[in-house]
Amino acid sequence: MNGKRDLPSRAGIGLKAPHVGELLATRPAAPWLEVHPENYMSGGIALASLEAVRREYPVSLHGVGLSLGTAGDIDARHLSRLRSLVERIEPCLVSEHLSWSTAGGVYLNHLLPLPYTDETLGVVADHVDEVQNALGRRILIENPSSYLRFRHSSMAEPHFLAELARRTGCGLLCDVNNIYVSAWNVDFDAGSYLDTLPVQAIGEIHLAGHAANDADGRTILIDDHGSPVTAPVWKLYQRALERFGSVPTLIEWDTDLPELSVLLGEASVADRMLQAFASEDDHACAA
Amino acid sequence: MLALRDLQARFTDSLFATEDLTLLDLVDSDGLDARARLAVYRHHVLATLTATLAAAYPVVCRLVDQRFFAYAADAFIRRHLPTEPCLVEYGAGLPHFLASFPACGALPYLPDVARLEWAVHTVAQHSDAASLDLARLRRVDPRDMAQLRFVPNPTVALLASPWPVDKIWKAHQEGTSEALPGLQGGAVCLEVHAVGETVAMRVLEPATFAFRDALARGLTLGEAAGHALESYPSFDLQQAILELLDDCIFNDFTIITE
Repeated sequence: MNGKRDLPSRAGIGLKAPHVGELLATRPAAPWLEVHPENYMSGGIALASLEAVRREYPVSLHGVGLSLGTAGDIDARHLSRLRSLVERIEPCLVSEHLSWSTAGGVYLNHLLPLPYTDETLGVVADHVDEVQNALGRRILIENPSSYLRFRHSSMAEPHFLAELARRTGCGLLCDVNNIYVSAWNVDFDAGSYLDTLPVQAIGEIHLAGHAANDADGRTILIDDHGSPVTAPVWKLYQRALERFGSVPTLIEWDTDLPELSVLLGEASVADRMLQAFASEDDHACAA
Repeated sequence: MLALRDLQARFTDSLFATEDLTLLDLVDSDGLDARARLAVYRHHVLATLTATLAAAYPVVCRLVDQRFFAYAADAFIRRHLPTEPCLVEYGAGLPHFLASFPACGALPYLPDVARLEWAVHTVAQHSDAASLDLARLRRVDPRDMAQLRFVPNPTVALLASPWPVDKIWKAHQEGTSEALPGLQGGAVCLEVHAVGETVAMRVLEPATFAFRDALARGLTLGEAAGHALESYPSFDLQQAILELLDDCIFNDFTIITE
């Protein structure tokens, strides 16, 4: 099994169930892989396949179910299941989202928006502390894609994330596509957003495709992870690399899944851009 | 200003039920109506949960076509939202829901096909379950044997239907050459089990099924034997018990004392 070291500063891919068989059969040269832990917590055939993958590749667990922004207690059972999976898989990274998904005992299967207030900061920071204590490791928190903004937010999202990282010691997962999508949908400057994020906290970057939908005559961008990364997002990624340096980067593709080779092709584009920012140490790691 | 807990309760309600003016007031319209913004979230929740159900019930999806499935799934989701984030475990109630969904009345076998799909779906999640401790079983006092109550192995599921659901299932697998079966006289007793990285199913004799199903429902060995012998007087109990152990149907047991 690959050791419990950091992810290489290379471009990996999100691994979806339909690609697992081909991946294990052909062992393509992907530098690392990321999966949603929720898909493997039930054990069985799925977990056995993830263990086989983990023996060959560095793996990152990217959670969608902890609902860190829910007012009230975190789901103790879910956290316990995540801890068991982390102990079993020994991922290089564990990440979650700045969002909520659970309220009143129902799970809404979406990364829902939060008002950025002192109250919310307290809730999310307490939950991040609890998760980091339970897992015994630092986690990364990802900026969500937004389709609305609450009027009573008292701080901008990147300031909120910076303060969350300062309070809890968590790292940040900078999803460049989400920044682009949110900037369009709720009208802020994507470049200024990047410039506000604390450089030292950034532990991973996400890239993905999005769709443009019509909503009452206005275009709204949907973060559907169902197409290639768009040109403006590549451009924003270049700017992120200029600011953050070479950071492990992931190509996400969740809907209308293409051939595995298409994902690997997208990752190799990101990889070439990353290499231009790689330090001497990174080159040694990538060799 | 709403407390976060209140905002989240109102947001949840507004996704599936009545419009909440207090919540709408909190959303910055900014060139697009707050209702349209909320609708993006509603659409995503429904679309992804529908996709989750379609992945667990691919044959039901093929039997009714995608549009009808989405219609039925929408009604199911609104009544039975997931309660936790491991969505591979979401959808257990769909067969029961389809049985009472009026629009499915023309396909009376549909709920049983759904039950079979759920059995296939769930046993695959338990291929690493523990097996029965046979040494411990051998130490049980023979006088206590009738009082044994077994714990079902989650890698195995039992299912009986008046319809040939196994044949319907096989005829709707991708790339199959199996023909669609006739529906009459196709009653079947099935055992579905995870084997390595796949799931297999086999047809059981009705007597064997009655015995195993009674045990799986929590009857003691004595009660289950009585149940099977009552309906099938020629049932070979001794052979059935041996096969039970060979087939790893159960992975634990207790002795029921009065």
